[in-house]
Amino acid sequence: MTLTVTGLSAIRSGRTILHPTSLVIHPRERIGIVGASGSGKSTLGHALIDDLRQQGHSVAHVPQSPDEALDPLRSMAFHWREAEEALGLQAGHADREGLFRALKIEGGDLRKRPWGWSRGMQQRFVIAMALIGAPDLIALDEPTSALDPVVAAATMELLSGFLDGKDTAMALITHDLGLAALRVDRLLVMADGHLVEEGRTEDILERPETQAAKALSAHRNWMALPC
Amino acid sequence: MIKTAGGLLLRALVVLSGTAILTFALLWNAPGDPAQAIAMARFDALLTDEVIDQVRAEVGLDRSFWQAFWAWLGPLLTLDFGNSAVTGRPVWPDLWASISYTFPLAFAALGIGLIISVPLAILATKRPGSLLDRFAVGLASIGNAIPAYWLGLILILIFAVKLAWLPALGASTPAHAILPALTLGLGVAASLTRIIRSGILEARGQPFLPAIRRRGVSDRSVGRDHVAPHAAIPVVTVFGLELAFLLEGLVLVEVIFGRPGLGTFLVQAILSRDFSHVQAVVVLTALVFVVVNLVIDLIYRVIDPRIGESNA
Amino acid sequence: MLTVSDLVVKRGPRVTLADISFTLPAGKTLAVVGESGAGKSTLIAAILGLLRPSSGEVTWDGAPTRDARPALVMQEPRAAFNPTMSLRRSIMEPVVAQNISLAGGRLERLCAGLELPLDLLDRRPDQVSIGQAQRAGILRALIASPPLVLFDEPLSALDAVTQKHTARLIAELQAEEGFAALIVTHDLGYAVAHGDQIAVLKSGRIEEIADAQDFALNPRSDYCRTLRDAAIALGALEAVA
Repeated sequence: MTLTVTGLSAIRSGRTILHPTSLVIHPRERIGIVGASGSGKSTLGHALIDDLRQQGHSVAHVPQSPDEALDPLRSMAFHWREAEEALGLQAGHADREGLFRALKIEGGDLRKRPWGWSRGMQQRFVIAMALIGAPDLIALDEPTSALDPVVAAATMELLSGFLDGKDTAMALITHDLGLAALRVDRLLVMADGHLVEEGRTEDILERPETQAAKALSAHRNWMALPC
Repeated sequence: MIKTAGGLLLRALVVLSGTAILTFALLWNAPGDPAQAIAMARFDALLTDEVIDQVRAEVGLDRSFWQAFWAWLGPLLTLDFGNSAVTGRPVWPDLWASISYTFPLAFAALGIGLIISVPLAILATKRPGSLLDRFAVGLASIGNAIPAYWLGLILILIFAVKLAWLPALGASTPAHAILPALTLGLGVAASLTRIIRSGILEARGQPFLPAIRRRGVSDRSVGRDHVAPHAAIPVVTVFGLELAFLLEGLVLVEVIFGRPGLGTFLVQAILSRDFSHVQAVVVLTALVFVVVNLVIDLIYRVIDPRIGESNA
Repeated sequence: MLTVSDLVVKRGPRVTLADISFTLPAGKTLAVVGESGAGKSTLIAAILGLLRPSSGEVTWDGAPTRDARPALVMQEPRAAFNPTMSLRRSIMEPVVAQNISLAGGRLERLCAGLELPLDLLDRRPDQVSIGQAQRAGILRALIASPPLVLFDEPLSALDAVTQKHTARLIAELQAEEGFAALIVTHDLGYAVAHGDQIAVLKSGRIEEIADAQDFALNPRSDYCRTLRDAAIALGALEAVA
């Protein structure tokens, strides 16, 4: 299902932090919302999720760190059941084993609380919860920055592999164009609360037009390795 | 788990024996001649030195500190509080009579405190900063500031003297317990309201709550399943302290309302230098504390197992 | 020169650092890379002289490192400053504490090098951007001209563009001032781009220590290869044919 939002904006304490922004996301599409800190990318991400929800689409959200997604006093099983119930599913209805296998967390003990799992596994559990009920869109907010690089890379790879061939679209919200460039088809560049540039990933990497896109593109990697 | 339980038990024993030694030492070294005080309480007349010395030998005050301490501690270990030097009767039946007045009063006060504070705090935190919230905070502050003896007298004045709805002095009927329980309960309610309120507000600020709401979980479920357990942790912690304040208040309230009980028992014992009675009350109080804190520690570990893990 | 020889740190029964040996010459940069829990923070504490090693030695030019007064740049820029004080007061604390007379214009020169307007220093940490706060943190570390500066994840709170910018300013100042830099980071891209040498720490041991470029092109152990490939998969390093 094609997702369309028009005129999203946000004002906080009298200041406009997101100017009216419209966008369209196609099924299976992977988009990256990129920008410096304070550019409005997270605001756009949250506004996008809320608006699509109001339209009746199913949108899942994965916060930056598992600490922002899991209650340390509740077991993993509790979180899973709660997520199922929130979607109106019967307990055990979701294909938990399939999701856990795809994200390689089938060895996790559901009776344990989050801190009984490694952080990488916690994050993948959160992603698995987000994928219950095959949402129209999964939005990931800086999904790698709270994890060690090896774990982060593996998590992105597993998620990419899982989404292949599924209708679920993905929105990656990040300051890191290097990360986004490897994972998304289309980029939306944010600066000062405006969507300043939009286009296919290769085009923006090769021919950035705005100041913001140029800076992001020029600094997307630390260096190139001939290997 | 067994290891932790053992550790907690050991801690309890250390607290108990420390309390026993400390009370004994304090009373032993208190200024004035205890033998004279006992003799006065017993005979209530002019005393000769012979009579006092006789009392001293009879009660065992002529022994060394450690001799006297062990002679007292030995039977205590089998929960035998011995005989009172002043009344000559066994301590335990008198103590038990006092307990049977005091404990129901304490529970009633705790109950009143909870019945008032829990709903008040929940309502207040529906909209922090609202009129209702400020009213609750104001009420709690006033409640904390008012001393129990003053509140007790005001309640007597209103409900016993002016309205004549309730009896003021004594403990002969259950109705007699209403005013003292209310006096203590209002104080408990005041401090609990503040703690529960700030516990709820702090729990509401937990970083994972927005994500759980975004997952589509209803506000009601979020409150029940995530906010309440987090809010309960500080409340459970403070509950033990609350009990301390309650015991303190009990002494005053029992005296004001002329009720028999542990408070009255203790005051009389101190005035008449009744070693065995004072020690019995102190040891019993310490025991109650240790047991309550033990239970709280265990509840704590059930709510938040991280606490046990980090200690292990 | 910083010399770490056969350093062992035990905490309780657990060994947090084992057999750590390396040298870091003046003016050079060593990047220490490793996952959380690998012992990076313990290493910093040991070099600063904040904890007593179970065995082994950490020296600067033969004397205990403490005598050389190494400076530290911390991970969380704002948390590294007293929130109630102006940046200037915090920055001048090491100068006052060590009773140093600053060369004329040193503060101004460092400010210029870090692209910090002078009047910005009169603000409190919450009144500047996070990137500016981190550059102020670097300024504070450098003000007393330490021969050795330790950087504990100096860029991880910054966004990708600010990271590269800040890294370049650090490198330029290092060329001018000549301090030795030990940079602890989980970002292999940063380590490869700005380190002369890279030490990979794993479970308290040095897995590999090598020239930065060599390491990136040809990591020797499987673990180091995994780290390199993860950096490529996250876009920190770009693999070109």
